[in-house]
Amino acid sequence: MLTGFKLRKRDEPWKWGALVIFLGALLISLLISAFLLEGQGKSAIDGLFILWDGSFGHVWALEGALLKAVPIFLCSLGVAISFRMQIWNIGAEGQFALGAIGATWMALSFPHLHWTLLMPLMFIMAFLLGGLWAGIPAALKLKLKVNEIISTLMLNYIAILLLDYLVFGIWKDPSSYGFPMTPKFSENARILGMFGSSVHWGVALCVAVGAAFWAFMRYTRLGYELKASGQGPRVAKYAGMPYGFLVMFVMCMSGGLAGWAGCVEVAGTTGRLEPSLMVGYGYTAIVVAWLARLEPLNIAFASFLLAALRVGVENLQLELQIPAAFGEIMEGMILLSVLAGQFFLTYKLERRKLSD
Amino acid sequence: MSTCDFIRPARKPLTENEVPVVRLVGVTKRFGKVVANNNINLDLYPGRIKALLGENGAGKSTMMSMLAGRYKPDEGHIEIDGKVMDFSSSKEAINAGIGMVYQHFMLVESMTVAQNVLLGQTGGFFINPKEMEKRVGELAGRFGLDVAPGARVCDLSMGEKQRVEILKLLYRDSRILIFDEPTAVLTPEETIRLFEALWKMAEQGKSIVFISHKLEEVLALADDIAILRRGVIEGEVDPDCVESKADLACRMVGKEVILEIDRAPMESGKPVLEVRNLSGMGLNEVDFEVRQGEIVALVGVAGNGQKPLVESICGLRKPPRDTIVIGGKPWRRFFAESTWKRSLSYIPEDRLGLATLRECDMVDNILLTTRKGFAIGPWLDKKRASTETVGLVEKFDIRPGRIQALAWQLSGGNLQKAVLARELYREPVLIVAEQPTQGLDISATEEVWKRLLEVRAMAGILLVTGDLNEALQLADRIAVIYNGRILGMLPTSDKATPDKIGPLMAGIVEEAAV
Repeated sequence: MLTGFKLRKRDEPWKWGALVIFLGALLISLLISAFLLEGQGKSAIDGLFILWDGSFGHVWALEGALLKAVPIFLCSLGVAISFRMQIWNIGAEGQFALGAIGATWMALSFPHLHWTLLMPLMFIMAFLLGGLWAGIPAALKLKLKVNEIISTLMLNYIAILLLDYLVFGIWKDPSSYGFPMTPKFSENARILGMFGSSVHWGVALCVAVGAAFWAFMRYTRLGYELKASGQGPRVAKYAGMPYGFLVMFVMCMSGGLAGWAGCVEVAGTTGRLEPSLMVGYGYTAIVVAWLARLEPLNIAFASFLLAALRVGVENLQLELQIPAAFGEIMEGMILLSVLAGQFFLTYKLERRKLSD
Repeated sequence: MSTCDFIRPARKPLTENEVPVVRLVGVTKRFGKVVANNNINLDLYPGRIKALLGENGAGKSTMMSMLAGRYKPDEGHIEIDGKVMDFSSSKEAINAGIGMVYQHFMLVESMTVAQNVLLGQTGGFFINPKEMEKRVGELAGRFGLDVAPGARVCDLSMGEKQRVEILKLLYRDSRILIFDEPTAVLTPEETIRLFEALWKMAEQGKSIVFISHKLEEVLALADDIAILRRGVIEGEVDPDCVESKADLACRMVGKEVILEIDRAPMESGKPVLEVRNLSGMGLNEVDFEVRQGEIVALVGVAGNGQKPLVESICGLRKPPRDTIVIGGKPWRRFFAESTWKRSLSYIPEDRLGLATLRECDMVDNILLTTRKGFAIGPWLDKKRASTETVGLVEKFDIRPGRIQALAWQLSGGNLQKAVLARELYREPVLIVAEQPTQGLDISATEEVWKRLLEVRAMAGILLVTGDLNEALQLADRIAVIYNGRILGMLPTSDKATPDKIGPLMAGIVEEAAV
């Protein structure tokens, strides 16, 4: 315990607490990162400057961050909707993979279909596969009372292996010199840049989905029922809500949104299915949802911030030869320090009086 | 508890030269604009039981939380043994000898009694379990707190768990023991044993604070009574000088309160609930009906089958086929076709955990069971819901009067009023009210009673209660449940009924009563 200070429980909530804690946590994480850089024999000042420069200093950096924010945002929205009902879906990574597989399946099967038909087909299949993948743990939870945290997590690994199987096997591009990847999609299956920039239309999709999510939670009966049954199956039963249906629904929505993220990634960014698609957006999404306290607008900001961090760290990696894990460490540190900081929403530090 | 049939030790008069162990001097505490405690002066003496009587929201909990070091007074101070204390944590208060038994126990369920008592104690790292149990057993014997030191806490009754909480405080040598509504969770028999233990503790010089709003208990137990009203000590009275319960109640709420209520006769109509030969889930051939216009009370010691019966009537569990008929429809059909209006209203015991959403505002809480009435296709008409909520808040006088208030911010009485407002808005044909006035103060109780009597015009009511007085005041018929079986259905119009209930609750059947 710090001498000279003591902890006291807050009588009233702290008005700007959440923001102050977030910024404070960010600062602490950056400071620790600076120490880590020094520990590797790099200049911390340079490192932080390069990190900033690579995240926000250039148009290309901002565009890169925006592109990376798209899948994170969609996954995170999906995670948030299930978290609101207190269903702990941590399988966005796997549902993302299934979405990518679904979109690829359509893109490879009907490459000559006009884009106005092919694109909806890809999105529908991505939503369907992602949603079904999330529906498995939901059904297991309802029928056999299997804890969804474990089943969603385990399904992630299965999904990734399934993706590997496809790109190493039946979908492998014969002209890829043995690299595990599918052929490039036809032009009809690509999401293009908006107004000639490299930022594709996935960003617009995010805006639309985010607004729809907000309106759904706020103005619909189903949205209300989801929120209310977050108090548990007994309350749902008390109020005559179909708890089983709601769990299935919320998980399928959650998985479907992650599936869309996968679809946008293959159609917008890579243009093919390949193992390097799986860079942990589904896990970052959980961090984002939690940092944003499950609010869509906050999720948008937090997605962008963590996406920018990823871009910045990539830059840092190139410039200073920092290991790739550095970004994950920072992400983890931000989450942990924000979570630890929430302690100060209920407690405050007071200077000890001389009389004590 | 309606009667207190036990002998209390003679009250000692307070001598002139007695020194208070705790003094609250001019203590004031504000939360924002609300003054929870205003200029409180209170003395606690060793060897005496001080009852703190007050309505919900009168400031009892705030006051005791300051004493227990959880809050800091804005003005005034607390003295212990004449020394001014400034607690900044509950730990400091515990070290100063103040201990509190909360309504919700803080025990490790999987550990034994002795382990719980010694948990967090300084001393050797390893303690021999035998030695531990011996020490705790001795302590329990000294104060007449009968509980096996080697038993696991999860196997104990509520009364026994409470004794473990008390032992924890005694083991820490607490000199001032605060009890926050300790009898709310106890059976009448356990209550008496608690009282006996309290007297024993007082005899050995402990200073005891007993928070309650049950007048009989306070009169039977206390050496002094302090009445708290709206954050102010309204007066201190000597229980021997209290003329009547009504007088005391009057001082507590500040207006004349009728502890009895007039029950106008009401024509009973069609049966709205029929339970036929329901067995299983701990029940045994339960058979009764509730008609529109009547109140049937289900009384019994807690845990005799009330829970499964209520839960199956209200759709939280599935009863066997053809055992429950609601509003003329078999259970399955009733819940399949259930509408939000003219249906079944369940007012559960667990107000904050089941009947309301703790983190949600009044509008969302009103919507919980009425949402179908505000649905337009997939949308919810939140505007109309807000308007209706404002109306209900006003009509039922739910405080604070803001519809933005979250459920957990409401006091028990106001929360219950909100639940009642919502459920009556649905114009139900059957109401199942479970302990509807538990933990409520007199004026809120009266309000709830009045509403229940009023709605007989449209509904039949099954009143599940542990309060015999409530059953006798409200019900037309009283069903006594024991060990999953209804041992008697007694009309309250019969003068002999009150005397018959007690033996039946204990499972004693003299003749073929059923």
